Amino acid sequence: MEEKVPRSNIIETEIPMGTVHPAALEPYRVRLFVEDEVVQEAEITIGVNHRGIERIMEGLPVEKANALTEKICGICSNSHVWNSCRTAEIGLDIEIPERARYIRVIMGELERLHSHFLYLAHGCETVAHETFSMRVFYLREIVMELLAMIGGNRVQYGCPIIGGVRPRCDLDEAKLLRIKNDMDKIEEGLTGFAERFLADSILVSRVTGVGVLPAKQAIKLAVTGPSLRATGVARDLRTTMFEYEDFDFNVVTQPDGDVKSNLLMRVFESFEAIKIIRQAIANIPEGKVVNRDWEMFDTDIIESYIEVPRGTLYHSYALETGRIRHCIIRTPSMANIGAMQYACIGDHITDAQLSIVQCDPCFTCTDRAIEIIRR
Amino acid sequence: MFETVATNSILAVIITVVVCFIISTLLPGIERKYVHARIQQRIGPPVTSPGIMAPIKFLFKENIKPSSPVPGLYKALPVICFLVVLSMLITLTPYAFAIPALASLVAIVGLLKVEEICYVLMGSLSKSIMSVRMPFPDRVKGAAHTKTTLSFIEDISAKRSLRMITYGSFPLYLALFAPVTAARSIFLQDIVLYQQANGPFLFTVSGGIAAIVFFIGYMIVLNEYPFSIIKAKCDVIEGPYMEYASKYRSIVFITRGFLMFTLGVLFSVLFIGIPATIFSPTILLNIVVVLVFVLMMGIFSAFTPVFTNRQLLPSILGATLLGILAIVLGLL
Amino acid sequence: MGIKSFSRARAIHVMLVYTGGCNGCDIEIVNSILSPRFDAEQYKVFLTWNPREADVLVVTGPVTHLNRKPLEAIYEAIPEPKLVVAAGSCALMGGVYKNIHGDIPSEEIEGPVENIIPVAAKVPGCAVRPQDVLAGVVTLLPTLLDAD
Repeated sequence: MEEKVPRSNIIETEIPMGTVHPAALEPYRVRLFVEDEVVQEAEITIGVNHRGIERIMEGLPVEKANALTEKICGICSNSHVWNSCRTAEIGLDIEIPERARYIRVIMGELERLHSHFLYLAHGCETVAHETFSMRVFYLREIVMELLAMIGGNRVQYGCPIIGGVRPRCDLDEAKLLRIKNDMDKIEEGLTGFAERFLADSILVSRVTGVGVLPAKQAIKLAVTGPSLRATGVARDLRTTMFEYEDFDFNVVTQPDGDVKSNLLMRVFESFEAIKIIRQAIANIPEGKVVNRDWEMFDTDIIESYIEVPRGTLYHSYALETGRIRHCIIRTPSMANIGAMQYACIGDHITDAQLSIVQCDPCFTCTDRAIEIIRR
Repeated sequence: MFETVATNSILAVIITVVVCFIISTLLPGIERKYVHARIQQRIGPPVTSPGIMAPIKFLFKENIKPSSPVPGLYKALPVICFLVVLSMLITLTPYAFAIPALASLVAIVGLLKVEEICYVLMGSLSKSIMSVRMPFPDRVKGAAHTKTTLSFIEDISAKRSLRMITYGSFPLYLALFAPVTAARSIFLQDIVLYQQANGPFLFTVSGGIAAIVFFIGYMIVLNEYPFSIIKAKCDVIEGPYMEYASKYRSIVFITRGFLMFTLGVLFSVLFIGIPATIFSPTILLNIVVVLVFVLMMGIFSAFTPVFTNRQLLPSILGATLLGILAIVLGLL
Repeated sequence: MGIKSFSRARAIHVMLVYTGGCNGCDIEIVNSILSPRFDAEQYKVFLTWNPREADVLVVTGPVTHLNRKPLEAIYEAIPEPKLVVAAGSCALMGGVYKNIHGDIPSEEIEGPVENIIPVAAKVPGCAVRPQDVLAGVVTLLPTLLDAD
């Protein structure tokens, strides 16, 4: 595929959209530079919801800061706490009980399911296919209720703590059985959705070849997560994480890098997530869920990477007398903004928002360390 | 003698229009509750809410000045649209057949064109808060292209309606002229008389094809998904209607249901040969035709995404070719 | 009950403005209007994205610096009678972003929503539950029905 180049010399018209727009789930501003309804260049402005979380976190006790990382994002909240706790655990050499590791994986994969379903529903809504969007939202409710059952809240569950998981998030037989049964339900529903989606020739023609991101360009822009795998690059951090050592799953890829590949990518990855959850339920070991036997000491800067639903998440901080120093968080959407701007180019305006949505944006995650320009 | 006939006719027209108008307000609710919500496996709003209660509610809202370069014209446009649809319905009653200049296909095509031009004007006159006027520091240091022409999202909408005028409404007009090939007259009276003598045009080969083309044209004129490019939620939000508030918005809401009804009646006049009059039981058939159209449109729109040019051009071209085929078959 | 109140009770248009929370509330609210599980349309509550059409403005998030003016502009664009529901703890009192560091003021957060536009109902929760949002909009009904 030839490389699309943004043309910057003769731009005629600019159409700004945002910060509130029906196709966007969160506040951001996008300026589309168009010529005859074809997007020549796009500029996404983030920083709209900059709350300065990293700055707030510095100086807080590490437990409190972990609770705060959850509030970075309402979609992948569990991943943020998980990685933040993992950072402290790596630095302080804390042994995590086997059972806690399994529960963390179950939570992580459930969250992947709910994030991917949100993506599918939102994607269908952006192409104005309300019926499919409703159907996926209906499926998503099953996952949301499972998460509410484990964590006690529909959005922010607060499951991982340093040394394991919160005891109230322990899974007894009844809960495991319910998760197991619901996985069957979700798999059935998702299979039905995927079959209908692929059989719907109008919808498939609408999303094929839109918002194309070639693999070469994706690597150049350092795109991560499913958006990268949808371009054909099999790179998944879960293959290297010790939490996932016991599990057998495939890294799914799709060839084209367009909206269709991205949507199918999420569908297939959801099946893999169901597979992992089933394995975890079948083999979950007995024992305690939290290791309280650890000591606090000062550390150098610690780093931790995990694979969250949208890509690679990076947390890093140093500990000093139990408090946090030098906190840096890098979320996957930060890397994917370039992909979003690139994917819009050459598409119709109606497809521009779709091209942005296809990279699964989460700007609330991303807006942290950006300086606001005051005028 | 002549005077009593005239007064009676006028009374009959008024009663017919009022009854049709009341039924038409139910149509958006029927589409939303019994088609969309049912397909989406939910309960859906009450039938009266979208079509009747929402317009009444808007009547009682503050009449805010729309942000538009020509507020007076912008506010007048929905009224014009409503009057256009009203005169179209009057044209379709048998009492109007006495005025040949009105009761002909040329008049109907003209009225529909006025309606479409109103969308262009609405789109270009609306300057809503949701795009350019949003107070956001766009052109700061480091921003790309600080010297471009700014364009409101409604401007795209206006351009698209212009495009719809040039080619989007072909299918409907072709389908309108298909019955002419059989009746050999553009006057509604002749078309109706011909069908009463020879059976409905719908049940001929040419009529069947033309009916399909009419349905596609019906959806295009009503701007329903998948042809709703001028008010697609995913980019232009509501397009031309963005700035209407209070009573003007309620007229916009009412006009939509009324247009649904009128186009259904138009079909029953041209393809089945039944003009709308309250003093004959055939009005029930008119209403059935209208309902069938609304249900079909609801089902079709629930299962399709919004089209872009890539899908729009082939589908309109296909429908246009079908329309030409119907006319050629009719002429043979 | 006059025809004004009667019609108002049967068609409530809700607009959502997100002002920089964590996204959780936004999705829960859009979800509650959209998903067939909760289906707000059966309670005659419709989601709209056009301020000229809205009756009730649901605001989530702590109102960050860049979101203040858009929020005010959107509030201005809504014709009377209009009511504001602040949903989620960020919209109510700034949430963790404003309060976790004690008395040190935050430069980024302009909120809570009350500081910027008048709020008629408050829906607590982090994140709000869809049921609570529906309940919040419904508690506004008496005020909305009696307004001029």
